Amino acid sequence: MQERVVITGLGTINAAGHTNPQFWQTLIDGSTAIAPLGSAGEGTRIRIGAVVKDYDPSACFPADTLPLLDRFSQFAVIAAREALADAGLEQNSELTRHAAAIIGTGCGGKQTDEETYTRLYKKGQSRAHPLTIPKGMPSAAACQVSLELGIGGPVFSIASACASGAHAIIQAALMIQSGLVETALAGGSDTPFTYGLLKSWEALRVVSRDACRPFSADRSGMVLGEGAGMLVLESETHARDRGARIYAELAGFGMSSDTAHITRPDVKGIQSAMGNALQNAGVSARSVDYVNAHGTGTAANDKTETEALHKTFGSHAGKLAVSSTKSIHGHALGASSALELIATTLAIHHQVAPPTANFTEADEDCDLDYVPNEARQLPINVAISNAFAFGGLNAVTVLKKPET
Amino acid sequence: MVEAAVKELLTRDRKFKPEDINMETSLNELGIDSLQAITILYELEERFEIEIPNELMEELESVGDIISTINKILSGKEDTEN
Repeated sequence: MQERVVITGLGTINAAGHTNPQFWQTLIDGSTAIAPLGSAGEGTRIRIGAVVKDYDPSACFPADTLPLLDRFSQFAVIAAREALADAGLEQNSELTRHAAAIIGTGCGGKQTDEETYTRLYKKGQSRAHPLTIPKGMPSAAACQVSLELGIGGPVFSIASACASGAHAIIQAALMIQSGLVETALAGGSDTPFTYGLLKSWEALRVVSRDACRPFSADRSGMVLGEGAGMLVLESETHARDRGARIYAELAGFGMSSDTAHITRPDVKGIQSAMGNALQNAGVSARSVDYVNAHGTGTAANDKTETEALHKTFGSHAGKLAVSSTKSIHGHALGASSALELIATTLAIHHQVAPPTANFTEADEDCDLDYVPNEARQLPINVAISNAFAFGGLNAVTVLKKPET
Repeated sequence: MVEAAVKELLTRDRKFKPEDINMETSLNELGIDSLQAITILYELEERFEIEIPNELMEELESVGDIISTINKILSGKEDTEN
C-alpha cells in the first residue's frame, strides 16, 4: 500500500519572520513585510520589496564556511536547520543519512554570478573568483543543506520558476510514497534582490510601485520577496512510530503545464492542476475549506486564478476562504510556494485562515471571499495551496487535518 | 612582503597563527583542501598582479613552495618590465 505523507517540521527565514513562529504571527496579524527598498533599488524603477531585515550572516555561519554560501544557500540552510529541529530530528544522524533533500529555486546563486560578471564585464578585471561556480550553481543550496545537516539520500534541486518549491515538495512526497525514503526535507529558496534581477523584473513591467494588493480592483502588480521555506515530510508510519507531532497530511497533489504561453496564465491549465490534485488526494471539491492562492497581485493572475477556482469548485467556490499571503511575505519566487505551504500547514494546525493584506475594493473579475485584511478562525479540514509559474507550470498541493 | 602575505592568507580563519608556521609546513597540515588552496592562490594572484600557471599547482605543497614560486614569478615579471 502507498505510504501516506505527513508534515512534521517547518522552518523559514523570510521578510515576514526569521523563524516559523514569527512568520505565523506576522501572517495572522495581516501586517505586510513589504517596505521601501531604499538604496537596494538604486538605479531601478523598483521601489518596494519584501527584504529580510536585521540579518547578520556571520552570526549564523562560521567564518570559514560563509565564503562558500550565496545568500540563497544561507537561507536554505537556516530554514532547513529549523525544520529539522522542529520535527525533533537530529542533524548528522542515522536518520538524516538516509533522508532526501529536494530544494526548489527559481534563480539560484545569482548574487554570486553577478558579482563575478561585474568584475569581468564592468570593472575589466581578468579573474573570476574560484568559488563562483560552487557558490552560484542552482544546486548549491541543496548541496549546502546536505553538507551541514548530513542529508545523505537523494539530494538535488528543482527549477520551475515560481512553482519550484511546490514541485520540490511534491517530488519529495513521491519518494516517500514509493518507499524510496522515509524522511525528506523539501522546500525552496530564492534571493532576487540583485541589480541584474531587479532590472530584469523591471523590464517585464509586472512589478507594483506601491503595494501588493491581490484580488483588489486597484491591484497594480506583484512585489518581489526573498527567503527560504523548508518542510520535513515523513511517511505517516515513521512519524507515528516515533511519536512525532503531525501538523498536517500532505494528502495529494496535481501538476500540469498550460502548453499555452511563456508568461500569460491559462485557466484550463490551472483548472487541470487543481482537478488533478483533488482527485489524487481523494477529496471532493465540496470538502475544501481554505485555498492559499497563488495570488500574485497582477491583473492577469488574479482574474485567471479566480475563474479557474469557479470552474473547479462550481457553486462551492463562493464558500471557500481564499487568501494570498504574498501580500504579506512578497513573491519570493522559487521559495514562495514553500512559504505558502507552510502558511497552509499552519492554517490547518491553528484552524485559522491568514488574510489577504492590503485588500481595498472588490473587483468584478475577482468575486470570491479573499479573507480581506483580517485572519479568520474557521474549521479547516482540507486546504489547497496553488503555485503557478512562468511557462504555465502549475503545482497544487492538498493538505488534510491529521487524524488523531 | 610575499612571505607575510602568504602566511597571513594561509592562516586566516584557521586555528593557526602566522608565527606557528614555517617554510616546511604543508597545506595538508594546515587543513587546507584543494578548493581552499585555489582560493588562496587567486587572492595571491590578485594581490601581486601575477598569474600562477595551472602546471605549477601540483608542486605547491608547502608554505615555502608557494613563497618561492611567487618570488620567481615576480622576479621574472621585473626582468620583463625592465
